[in-house]
Amino acid sequence: MRFLTLAALGALAFGGQAYAQSEATLDLVGPISEYKLFVAEQVDQLVADTTAFVEAVKAGDVERAKALFAPTRINYEEIEPIAELFSDLDVAIDSRADDYEKAEQDPEFPGFHRIEYGLWEKNSTEGLDPVADKLLADVTDLQGRIEGLTFPPEVVVGGAAVLMEEVAATKISGEEDRYSHTDLWDFRGNFDGSRKIVELVRPLVDDEAFLATVDKNFATVDEILEKYRDGAGYVTYDNLTEEDRVVLAGAVNTLAEDLSTLRGKLGLD
Amino acid sequence: MPALLTTRRRLLAGAAALAATPAFAATGQHNVTDAPVADTTSAADLVSPYGRHQAGITTPRPANGMVAAFHVLASDPSALERLFRRLTERIVLLTHGGPLPETDPKLPPPDSGILGPVVQPDALTVTVGLGASLFEDRTWLAPHRPRVLSRMTRFHNDALDADICHGDLVIQFCANTQDTAVHALRDIVKNIPDQLVLKWAQAGNVPVIPARPDAAPESARNLLGFRDGSANPDSEDAALMERVVWIGPGNAEPDWAADGTYMAVRIIRNLVERWDRTPLGEQERIFGRTKMSGAPLDRAEGTEAMVPDYAADPEGEAVPLDSHIRLANPRTPGSEESLMLRRPFNYVNGVLKNGQLDQGLLFIAFQSDLEKAFVAVQRRLDREPLEEYIKPVGGGYFFVLPGFAAGEDFLGSSLIAALSPTSQTSSQSIPGRPVTD
Repeated sequence: MRFLTLAALGALAFGGQAYAQSEATLDLVGPISEYKLFVAEQVDQLVADTTAFVEAVKAGDVERAKALFAPTRINYEEIEPIAELFSDLDVAIDSRADDYEKAEQDPEFPGFHRIEYGLWEKNSTEGLDPVADKLLADVTDLQGRIEGLTFPPEVVVGGAAVLMEEVAATKISGEEDRYSHTDLWDFRGNFDGSRKIVELVRPLVDDEAFLATVDKNFATVDEILEKYRDGAGYVTYDNLTEEDRVVLAGAVNTLAEDLSTLRGKLGLD
Repeated sequence: MPALLTTRRRLLAGAAALAATPAFAATGQHNVTDAPVADTTSAADLVSPYGRHQAGITTPRPANGMVAAFHVLASDPSALERLFRRLTERIVLLTHGGPLPETDPKLPPPDSGILGPVVQPDALTVTVGLGASLFEDRTWLAPHRPRVLSRMTRFHNDALDADICHGDLVIQFCANTQDTAVHALRDIVKNIPDQLVLKWAQAGNVPVIPARPDAAPESARNLLGFRDGSANPDSEDAALMERVVWIGPGNAEPDWAADGTYMAVRIIRNLVERWDRTPLGEQERIFGRTKMSGAPLDRAEGTEAMVPDYAADPEGEAVPLDSHIRLANPRTPGSEESLMLRRPFNYVNGVLKNGQLDQGLLFIAFQSDLEKAFVAVQRRLDREPLEEYIKPVGGGYFFVLPGFAAGEDFLGSSLIAALSPTSQTSSQSIPGRPVTD
């Protein structure tokens, strides 16, 4: 074997440069209370939209229910880091068929995606009344619980990355809204929710290069999503070209990596 | 410890003083497909990433391997150069190992930590190749495509699954332990998320055999129970490798491609339950070799190293005319043109929906001309009796970049130089590449 050379072990630091210790005391009070207002607005909208959605389902109006499905969910997707704090409700509202042993046939399968399955796969609202009632009750319950919640700063700031993890894990593959293929709406919700958090804490982030990269990747996402805009919303996910899907995936993975350091940059544990 | 094993270990250990020691002196032919021998490897084994050729091709095959294919995000030459430079940095770091830095507990650790506080070299090699789609999808790169680099097309017995086929860029990881390969993949995924989007990956391994003093090396077995690689060309024969594996002046390739090679990757499912229910004699006739020793059937009492004499067996009474080894390498005048260097791993993926085992061969072969070697051989194998027991489901064709030198050079520097002949970085780095025998 040729070219055997002894390594200068450790000559290159593994994992790049060691990170500087970040400051632990930063004033997050302002951004957090502003975020709480934002979440309250979103959840109010969610309750209002879900009410109309549930009415359509219970009236047996499949076309109207289909039209309301994606715009109703978008407010949930925007505030997912907070909604997820109540894991019982998150499961009830937004779990997918894979979370159940018998998938779509499982009587336990609830929430938005159970209704989505009925509307798109069966083209029917049959048997969905109790599911719809429960969804509205759960969304209303969420509204009440968020009202009484003290927002943990690390959850709020960490939420920017959590939303990108959501996209990377279940949206890029198109498996979130697998019956309706309205995934691009959910993308929009997740990105807007993440960007909101970044905007609120931006003045506290002392790293221009970091912010520039994050901004650039959000802009990339905007550019791609804009190509698929259809009226107030988006075309179905199957319209996304492989090339655009890859560009989106690259931006999402990079945002997930970068934003995973946001908590630490603000000195939060 | 027998001389052979000691030599191999020292070779892998990378002690500079030993670089001049004749490798495997007087021990006969050694193939990259030799089964790894227990207790001859160590975490300190270092395979240099530097050289005229990339490591992980003619270097000994360790027990574990993985192939990962990626989409590439690079819309202009400078973005591609940036990707190559970043990959080079990761490869140099990963193959040499080293201690992890102190981490601020408030931040995600920069390393996965799965190898502990000090990353050991563990014989890791990281080998990078480019797929046809990388060139086709970029007008500025298309004119530089290697001459016979193409998108893998379906052969007679293939049932290709688009989710595990092709890729803009491929990385082969090989190491003593699977953890080291996994660590390297995770490092690259984490550090280059904006330019590499993972498409598929397949891990594999080959069985490590117990040390047997003074025994000849033997080819590792595949999951059909046969020795795989008996007729592989000798990877220690530099002149032979120049002919069989490395791109040279005779290959009519673009200048930048010199010292690279073509890589064929095939994920070949083995229908093991059915195979295990097939009579031994039939299994051996399908391959043309005895199952236990690997000897060709015309000298069944011999060894796997023996060469079958087809001239003396024109009717295929000993080695059937449609046996795997006879079709793949008929040993007729001219058939040496289709020689390639195979360096496969076995894979075990769990259970399929039908309740059968999802196992097979992560076939990897290197050659200086993809069409004359892998493609020609596979065409000869179309409709072979073995097809009843195997099903190729994935893989792709790639062009493995030339190697790179320590210092300012980087992987793919010759391609980048070809893209921008006036580029200062590139024109500096090319003469810096070592020229050896």
